[in-house]
This record gives sequence, C-alpha cells and structure tokens, in this order.
Amino acid sequence: MAVTKLFGASIKRREDPRMITGRANYTDDVRLPGTLSLAILRSPYAHARIKRINVEKARQLPGVVAVYTGKDLADTLAPVPCAWLPPNSDLKVPEYRALAIDTVRYVGDGVAAVVAEDRYRAADALAAIEVDYEILPAVVDQEKAVAEGAPQLYADVPNNTAFVWRLSGGDVEAALAQADVVVSQRLVNHRLIPTAMETRAALAYYNPGSGELTLWCTSQNPHIHRLLLSAVTGLPETRIRVISTDVGGGFGSKLPFYAGEMIASAIAKDLGRPIKWVEDRRENFVATTHGRDHIDYVDVAAKRDGTITGIRVRSYANMGAYLSTAAPGVPTWLFGLMLSGPYTIPNVAVEVYGVLTNTTPTDAYRGAGRPEATYILERMMDLVADRLGMDPVEIRRKNFIPKDKFPYTVATTLQYDSGDYELTLNRALEIVGYDAFRKEQAEARKQGRLLGIGLSSYVEVCGLAPSQAAGAMGFQGGLWESATVRVHPSGKVSVFTGANPHGQGEETTFAQLVADELGVPIDDVEVVHGDTGRIPFGMGTYGSRSTAVGGSALVYAARKVRDKGAKIAAHLLEVSPDDIVFDQGRYYVKGAPDRVKTFQEVAGAAYLAWSMPEGVTPGLEETHFFDPINNTYPFGTHVCVVEVDPHTGQVTFRRYVAVDDVGHVINPMIVDGQVHGGIAQGLAQAVYEAAVYDENGQLLTGSLMDYAIPTASMVPTYEVDRTETPTPVNPMGLKGAGETGTIASTPAVVNAIIDALKPYGITHLDMPLTPQRIWQAIQQAQKGS
Amino acid sequence: MKISGSYTMQAARQAVWDKLIDPDAIAGCLPGVEELTKVGDNEFTMAMTVGIGPVRGTYAGKVTLANLNPPESYEMQVEGSGRPGFVKGSGQIHLAQGVGGGTAITYEGDVEVGGPVGSVAQRMLGGVARRMIEQFFGCIEKQITGG
Repeated sequence: MAVTKLFGASIKRREDPRMITGRANYTDDVRLPGTLSLAILRSPYAHARIKRINVEKARQLPGVVAVYTGKDLADTLAPVPCAWLPPNSDLKVPEYRALAIDTVRYVGDGVAAVVAEDRYRAADALAAIEVDYEILPAVVDQEKAVAEGAPQLYADVPNNTAFVWRLSGGDVEAALAQADVVVSQRLVNHRLIPTAMETRAALAYYNPGSGELTLWCTSQNPHIHRLLLSAVTGLPETRIRVISTDVGGGFGSKLPFYAGEMIASAIAKDLGRPIKWVEDRRENFVATTHGRDHIDYVDVAAKRDGTITGIRVRSYANMGAYLSTAAPGVPTWLFGLMLSGPYTIPNVAVEVYGVLTNTTPTDAYRGAGRPEATYILERMMDLVADRLGMDPVEIRRKNFIPKDKFPYTVATTLQYDSGDYELTLNRALEIVGYDAFRKEQAEARKQGRLLGIGLSSYVEVCGLAPSQAAGAMGFQGGLWESATVRVHPSGKVSVFTGANPHGQGEETTFAQLVADELGVPIDDVEVVHGDTGRIPFGMGTYGSRSTAVGGSALVYAARKVRDKGAKIAAHLLEVSPDDIVFDQGRYYVKGAPDRVKTFQEVAGAAYLAWSMPEGVTPGLEETHFFDPINNTYPFGTHVCVVEVDPHTGQVTFRRYVAVDDVGHVINPMIVDGQVHGGIAQGLAQAVYEAAVYDENGQLLTGSLMDYAIPTASMVPTYEVDRTETPTPVNPMGLKGAGETGTIASTPAVVNAIIDALKPYGITHLDMPLTPQRIWQAIQQAQKGS
Repeated sequence: MKISGSYTMQAARQAVWDKLIDPDAIAGCLPGVEELTKVGDNEFTMAMTVGIGPVRGTYAGKVTLANLNPPESYEMQVEGSGRPGFVKGSGQIHLAQGVGGGTAITYEGDVEVGGPVGSVAQRMLGGVARRMIEQFFGCIEKQITGG
C-alpha cells in the first residue's frame, strides 16, 4: 500500500485556521505571571571601541530591574557558537560575545541589556545608557575588506579572511586552455534580508526548584538550540527545554543560535523571573541574520558547438562581522558542490573567500548556496549562448545530463539520484509557447517594444542528509531525523517529529502520511513538533529536508506500529500473523474478511494487555531514526516573460511558467503554495529587494518602507506544472519542495530582462534590476552607439 | 551624505556674520533647538528635536565653530546622539558680498546619521537638512531686517 487515498490529495492546511484567526501560539503569545521585559541596546556604529559605559541613570529609572553590560555576562555566557566548521579551509572563528565587551563590529551589535517591568520602560532605559565610543574605520564591502590597508575587524584574522575554501573536480585549467571560447563575467549576488513575518522572540523561565530552564523561542531546530544553549550556559541538556511550536516563518533566519535568546536565558536564571524579549521590526532588520551577498568571478570554457567543458569560480562571500551558526557551510558546500547544476560539466573548480565585514552576520536564506550557484550557471549559459550565437534553449539541451545516466556522479562528487531535465524544459516551453513568443518578440522589436524571455533550468540538493556527509563537511551535527508514533488506547494517534515546520504545512502532510499508513481518519492524527520536552530528538527544518528525511522516519515508525498491531490482531483472531491482511485500518484473516479487528480495537487491546501474544510488550508506540543514504535532487525549468518600458526602465511581468519535479507529491496544494512563495522571494531579489549599506556601515534599508518586499500586485500570476520522477532514496519517492522556487526564479527573471534589452547590446546587469538601473543602462547604451 | 547650497540675504555681510555666530540667534532660528549653552570659545552644547522621515527624537550634542575668518567664512561641526541614533555633520560656510548690498551665503558639508534613524530615514535626510537650512537662514534674515 505505497500510495493510498490521502497521499496525493490537496487537503487544506490544518494549521491555517488558528494562524489566520489570531489563535496561534507564537512566542509572544505565551504569558507567564511576573514576566519582565528585556531590551537590548545596539550599537549605532559599525565599528567602534567602547571606551566607557555608564548604566547608572538607566538603573535608577522607575520600573527598571537590572542592567547588564558585556562584562557582566562574560562569565555567565560562553561566546555565541559557530556550528559548521568546513575542514581544510584555514577557518578562524572570531570570538562572538552575546554583548560586546570592548569592541562593536556592526550596527546592531549588542552593547547592554535592560530588564524592566514592561517593554516601554525597558526602551526608555536604553536611551539613558551612556556609551562613549571611539569610532574606528569600518569596511562593508567584501572585496575592499580583503584588500591591503583595509580596516581590520580582528587582530587574529588577517585580511578579514575567516576561511578560504577550495573544491575541484577534473582539470579546469586544461579545459580553459583548450576551450574554443572562454566567457568571463563578474556577478554580484547581493545581500538580502529574510524578513520573516514573526520577528525573533524569546521567553525564558528558570525554575529554581527543579533547576530547569524553559526557553520559548522562534527556532527552526529546537533540539540543536537546546544543545547550543547547554554549551553556552553550562546547564545540562536534561535541565533545558526549548519550545518553538508556532513559528511565523524563518527562511533560514531562525536556524542560527543567537545572542538575544542566550541573554534572556542567562538573566532569567540570574533574576529568577521569566524574561521576555521580542524584536521589533527595526531591530529584526539589523539583529537577525541576512542572506546571500556574494561577488563571483566566473570563467566558463566551451566548445564552439556549445558544449560546456569547464567552470571556474572565485567567490567573495560576505559573512558579516561574526560567523553565525551555519554560515560557513552556506557559501562553501551548499554552493560549491552544485556548480555544475543539471549539466555534464566535467571540470569544475571553486575558491571561496569567507570575508568578515562590519555588517550584520549572514547565514542561510531560503535556498542557501544553491540559488547562488544556480544564478551563476544560468546567467553564464545565456552569456555563452549569446557569444556563440546559439538559442538559450539549445545550449541547455546540449549540456543536460541525459535521463538514462542516473544515478549520475558529477565532477564535485555528488551523486544525483534521479532526473529527467529535458522533460521539464520541454513542458515549460510548450506551456509558454516558446517559438510563437520568439516571433512575437521579433515583431515587437520592430515597433521599438522590448519583450524578453528568460530560462532557468536547475537542479538542487536538498533533503539534507546523510549524517556521514554532514561529518565530512564539518557540520557539527547529524542529518538524520526522528519520529515517534504513539497510538492511544482509543486508537487516536500522536505523531512526534524532530522536524520543526514553521510555515511548510507538515502538520497536514505528515498527518496524511500517518493516516494512510495506519488507515485511520486524518482527524485522528495530531502532529506534535517543536518541543524538546516531548520529542526524542530532532535536527529540525531547513534545506527542504523535513518531508524527505523526517517524513520517511515517520513512515517507518508507523509501519512498525502497524506490524506490532498485526501480531496483536493475529493473537486475538487466533491465527498466525502471516495470515493477517491489513487494509484501510482493518486487520482481517486472509480469505475471511469478516474475521476482523479494527485498528482501534487492536490499540485498545494493546493497552489493556489482558491477552498479548508471547514476546509482545503492552502499549502501541514506536520510534524510528532515519538516516537516508543520500540527499534528494529536485529539478525543473522556469520561464519568465517580461516587457521592459524603454522610456522608464519599468519591468512588466507577462508570464511566469514553473515546471518542477520534486518526485511524488503528498499534497499538491501545499507544494503549489511552496512554489509560489519561493518564486516570489527569488523574483524579488531579481527586481525589488536589496540590503544596502552606506560606506560607514549604516544599513540604509532598515525598514519595510526601504526594503522592498513585494506585495501581491508586484508579482505575476504563476503557471505551475510538475513532472514526477521519483527518488530511490526514501520510501515515498519524494524530494524537497521548499526552496525550488527561490532557486529557479532569480536567474529566470534576470535572463528575461537581459533578453529584452538585447537590442541595446546589453549582455549583463547586476541585480536588483530596478527601473533606475535599467533606464541608466539603456541611456548609456544609446550614448555609446 | 554631501549637502550643499546657497542662500542670498538682503543684509550687509557683517550683520549676517554677527548673527550667524550668535548663540541666541542660532538657538532662536534653528528649528527644534531646545537648549543651546555656550561652554567654551565657539563651543556650545545643544539639545534639539528633529523629525527625519518617520523618526522623531531628541538629540543631545555639541556644536563647534572653527577657523573663523570674519566676515568671510567659518566651519561648523555638529554632533548629536539620542534614542533615534546619532547625527554628525561638518560644513563650511562662505559669505560673499552680493549685488545691491546683499550677502550671498554658500555652504557645503557632509552629514552622517546612524543607528535606527540611519536605517529608516537616511533617504529623507537631504530634504530635511535642506529645509532646515532654508528655515534657519530665513529666520536669521528676518531678525536682521526686522521683516
């Protein structure tokens, strides 16, 4: 019974009613009596020495309970940890204090913490803290930061270079030397701000009787955060409970372990009162990690017929002022391994400089590394095609890994599980009507109208696993997942998953899986997540891994339950377990369907345990830890059609077609939603969103007035379709679907706009392609001609 | 951020000069100034409430006049910080004899803002500064001409 009725059904998300009616339980909704409010004073300077801090005035304000500086917490809290340490990269992890002790290194770096009776008094007290800063020269651009004479952030990190990471397969130098053409381009993948709808928050409560610290927070991976909180506070894991049940979006920004949560925990223990800290939106812009921010120098070697023979990339990744929890893994492994994409490029070499600057630390942001790799490849494909006078479709087709070559090992040693890349390309071209569009485009150009079409064919690595690979990459954790299926005496089912969905809909899709496996109504299945006090262990939700890894753990746990039930049913029906058939929640005797025990009857019998088969223990609950043999590799082709106004540079989206292959699909409606949201985020990078710093390190885009998150009217209607190529690495044959849209869409949009600008001879512009940037490029091109 | 501009007053250069370095005139004419105290030669402490875009707040700081070359030119440094962040600026002011007995003032300077105000209001800063300077000179002119 691999596929039954709920697998593949578009069921509405069960978590939505509480979320859209204000009844969800986010961290700020948790109220404990006697809670004090925490506020953090943040540096207004990007780089400065703290000469003196005077907190006396603040301490004396009415309602203020305590004020802490970096020195006050130095002995209580170990530095903020970094948990992805790529080997052989000369990695230097600078000391990252929860509150700066003598030097601040970015606007937003914590300087002092105030605890007061309410949030307003805490905010007032921040203004009463006097800090004497000696302003130091700042550097925000990663290329300037590695140049000679640049301001240095740390005495023990020469040239602000935290690591240099290299990876290669084949012989790229030979490929470049022997190439018919070499196409080189500098590409900027600018900085983005994740901007989850719920800002970060923490509520910490220390029970002096039990010695247990409970931390409610906005985490994508509560067990990892418990482990790290244990490491920085010295409290054993047995005395820490981390709860993150309802989390309002993360996009990677709630994966890192942060200072704010550490400070709240330490103060809760110190004062013996619950401490709540809730970021406001402005604080979120500077104090929660940013994403991307790469400068890439790319050389592609090609034969005259369009065969790509090699790619060489040198990247400068802006890590910000400190190394955030998973940050070093993002521009290295998650990026470098994917630099041949869906193509048979035999020679690949990449060199990545992880650079520290006076900016907010960066870390994972939806796609994490894979959008950066895909952007490079898909931009370069168009540039090479342009150089050779080829059609962008033909160059992709020519270089695709053929469908009969899977599993396929790429030059960077990854083994792709399954794929049929040309299928998604063909489907997308058919939907968009490629040939007809090219004719329309040619006609339009005669009238001075700028139509453009952009392709993006991608493959990405997700369902992040297995643990052995995590170890080889220096990730300080495993990449398995756990699940417990607990059947109650009534036959109702609680499912405990180590994944922590925060918008992805697994409360629904996981219930679909379990309802299918056990043949119970979906309403009888509750999905419990995000609480280290209830769940055995978990690695969390990121890298589109929850369903591929966590869902698989769940299926195996449910099957163990079913098998145990079969033994009990056989005993009750007085037949051999081999003679029992399970179907739709009923155990019956083979050939005698009227001799039957329902799943609920068996559950009751398991708990009464009046009559159990020999060797079978009472109760009906199973746990499974699943560590897959490989990642999964979803793929697809996105096509964007735009019109650019030559007089204003304004881009109008005419079509957006996405054909993805994520293997089998549990809930098409939810996958559509993930694809839609992903496209919106990737498209936003192409034309709207950009985090901008001035040269002094001031974030100029620190509000929703300045940072252009698109609204519904700013994005096109998506035409979404799918092909289904199952993966062999998990029992459901499915791949991840949370990041594909973001990975694919950015280059599709940019390629479309550059295609529209072709009459001006423009071959590349860096993002975001705002009307101003496009208009200026048009003006310059016209001046040049 | 670089700021520059000019303003022409229907007043004699020496009279303009005297007003421009007079703390009472500065306090009375610079919008939002709540307090201006002389603490040394050409050095003043100041409290000032300014709204830049959506961020309104009080800044406490220091104003310093330097390289005084009466009645032709001087430099002005302003530093203030407060809950919304900090504002720092320096500028050069030139006074030239204008036609018909008037005075042509030109100014150029650099203004930096940081902290919360920098992240939400920086793009409004140029406009706000220009408007404040216009108001300031307009008020000074009125004081001289009694208009």
